[in-house]
Amino acid sequence: MPALQHLTLPNRRFALGAGFAVEAVKYFKYWILAAVAIAFLGPLALSQYRDIDLSTWYYTANIAKWFTSFVAGGFLFTLVPNMIAAGMTRRELSVAMGVFGLLWSAALGALVFAGILAERAYYGAMGWSQGIDAQGTISAIGTWGETAAFAAVYPLMYLAYFAAGAVIGAAAYRWENSGWLLLVPILPVVFSLDNAVYDTEPFGPAWAGVLGRFMEDWGRGVVLTGVVIVAAGLAVATRQILLDIPLRSKKA
Amino acid sequence: MSFTASLRDVTLKYKDTDALADVNLELEAGKIYGLLGRNGAGKTSLLSLLAAFRKPTSGEILIGGEPVWENAAVVSRVALIREGGDFDDADTVKAAIDTGQIRPGFDTEYALKLAERFELPLKKKVRELSRGKRSALAAVCGLAARAELTMFDEVHLGMDAPTRDAFYKELLAEYMDRPHTVILSTHLIDEVANYLEEVIIVDRGRILRHEELEVFQGMGATLTGPAAAVDAVAAGLEVLAEQQLGGTKAATVAALDPGARERAAASGLEIGPVGLQDLFIHLTEPTRKGA
Repeated sequence: MPALQHLTLPNRRFALGAGFAVEAVKYFKYWILAAVAIAFLGPLALSQYRDIDLSTWYYTANIAKWFTSFVAGGFLFTLVPNMIAAGMTRRELSVAMGVFGLLWSAALGALVFAGILAERAYYGAMGWSQGIDAQGTISAIGTWGETAAFAAVYPLMYLAYFAAGAVIGAAAYRWENSGWLLLVPILPVVFSLDNAVYDTEPFGPAWAGVLGRFMEDWGRGVVLTGVVIVAAGLAVATRQILLDIPLRSKKA
Repeated sequence: MSFTASLRDVTLKYKDTDALADVNLELEAGKIYGLLGRNGAGKTSLLSLLAAFRKPTSGEILIGGEPVWENAAVVSRVALIREGGDFDDADTVKAAIDTGQIRPGFDTEYALKLAERFELPLKKKVRELSRGKRSALAAVCGLAARAELTMFDEVHLGMDAPTRDAFYKELLAEYMDRPHTVILSTHLIDEVANYLEEVIIVDRGRILRHEELEVFQGMGATLTGPAAAVDAVAAGLEVLAEQQLGGTKAATVAALDPGARERAAASGLEIGPVGLQDLFIHLTEPTRKGA
């Protein structure tokens, strides 16, 4: 991380958070480029055999949610021993992860936002319909404004998935054999809220959307508020798990 | 500036087991300490507490007079290098060294110079290193941390003899150049004995002894000379170790009273200091009580 060369004690938590985000993007740059290429070239290839009426970027954006969780969990699991052994405090690490999460979610969200809007123009030019699979029927995302509103939610969703991955990563490090079980309560909450935002068929394990039945009557504002509250709650939980986390003993 | 370290009534439990119990320890700044103990005695637990890798179950730990836990100004100047180091295995050696820059005092130029001396391949992934090279990388990062309290926990494991020798020399050179507090935890006792100023022996979660090296060496003696004469003087004394080559014998005894010392001198025996390792084995013998 080149940014490390000029670290000072007061600013290193923020600089490291930004550094993690840059490193993550650099590390996964070919994956991201491949996903973007597939999102644009996939429909072109498919159009040779069938009509295009589904947004490929919708699927790309949803896969990116799960990817974001893995990035957050994987990075934190690795960073806990490395950073503490390198002389960071747990509070500094939790702040750095917060900065990382915000920047990662914003960057990925911006990419997806731009991708979905570019796809609208692309589909329009090709005479295709940009739709999503909503409760068994395919419905068009809508006007430019509706498309922008549809895509604008992704940064927030990525933040929620990032926080979910981070809390599971921290728990998995802290409680070696059982920490990952936090997945069981967290996944249904985040996943159900996610499905409620778009009112679509679940994108992922259907059982995890079990709480969706209680959210059917919630308005979009309420659901988004719920996402914000859950993301904040998961971030606080991650910090709490980190605050007195012991470093594991080395194994021979 | 170098750090003092204090542990006051410190206990560390792993579930129901006491890894450390009611430990009190005061370490002066600017000395090289040896931390000795049998496997599972509590050496690593003690170091983990000093580096804030773990929180004590009870008690207080002060480094440089300040609580170490979650104290960025302190932990950024404390380095605990564990066997094999704490690296991201997917990183290159160069990236692992660069991570050290999280410490404001880290000396990258010195680290790269050491990496060259220890023949570390900068472009290779950490996971591809041999155990010895990985240990050398850990040692490099520990030395270049330029910390005020530097602790090496069995960091020599896997290093060959020339690399260990180079590490000890570099450690000493760095110490002479920039006095700071160093703790070496090792089982290669006689190999490091010459570098130590004070020795702490941990046994079954408690501090068994903490003395200057000379005090330990004065706790016994090594008698060398003709086998018959050595046996005659050593008769009735507690013999810690014996070695014989032809007609010459060396016996390490736990204590040498003035009378025995006179007899040894009269017999023409050479009287030398006790080997730290022999004394350590004696002091931590499982059957020994109240040592």
